[in-house]
Amino acid sequence: MTMPIIVKVDEMLHERRMTLTELSERIGITLANLSILKTGKARAVRFSTLEAICEALQCQPGDLLEFRHTQEKEAI
Amino acid sequence: MTKSYPNTLTLSRRVLRVLTKLNLLMGALILALLIASLIAESWVMRALGARPAPGNSMLFVGMRLIMVIGLCGVPIVHLILARLLTIIETVSVGNPFVVANAVRLRTIAWAMLGLELTHFAVGTVAALVSTTAAPLNIGWGFSLTRWLAVLMLFVLAQVFEQGARMREDLEGTV
Repeated sequence: MTMPIIVKVDEMLHERRMTLTELSERIGITLANLSILKTGKARAVRFSTLEAICEALQCQPGDLLEFRHTQEKEAI
Repeated sequence: MTKSYPNTLTLSRRVLRVLTKLNLLMGALILALLIASLIAESWVMRALGARPAPGNSMLFVGMRLIMVIGLCGVPIVHLILARLLTIIETVSVGNPFVVANAVRLRTIAWAMLGLELTHFAVGTVAALVSTTAAPLNIGWGFSLTRWLAVLMLFVLAQVFEQGARMREDLEGTV
């Protein structure tokens, strides 16, 4: 089950011309865990993870997370 | 100490398998005894220590009723042993903290409660049919420890379920 909270890692990576593997190496989080985060399968995100991603991508937590209503999400 | 852990599991698994077979054997023996008591009543009752006498008909009925209750206990015990064996299997594969095990533990708790009720029923039947002339002494006694064990199992099942859900949450945490 995916969450209505969207993690926009893909967009941020694309803007910065960075791959998921590169991000994984920079922040020390496994590719498998980043994929879970990216696909919206994560149940929770640690502040330390958020901090590391924001540090690596030079962005704010708000740039990474977005809330979408379930219906709106289904329409997309 | 770490080496004895898997050995304990293996031992428990073996003990449970033996107990499962013994329980089924016991069920078959009780059934055979019940059938024999219907075919050759006087012979079986004499063998059980009850002398055939005019006033003993209620005693015989009581003894048969106890056999039937005993038979009812067989599938309950089987359920307990089977669930316990499944829980042990999940321990050996390294994934015991799952909601399914909490459900199994709760099933065991219900089954234990059922077993206590059958035990209580046996005591009631024995008290009803037993007379001073023809006493039915089955060594029945109330045990607070067993009722506490039932309560503890329900509590543990709840704790287990909570723990399993917390673990699930932790697993989905990045």
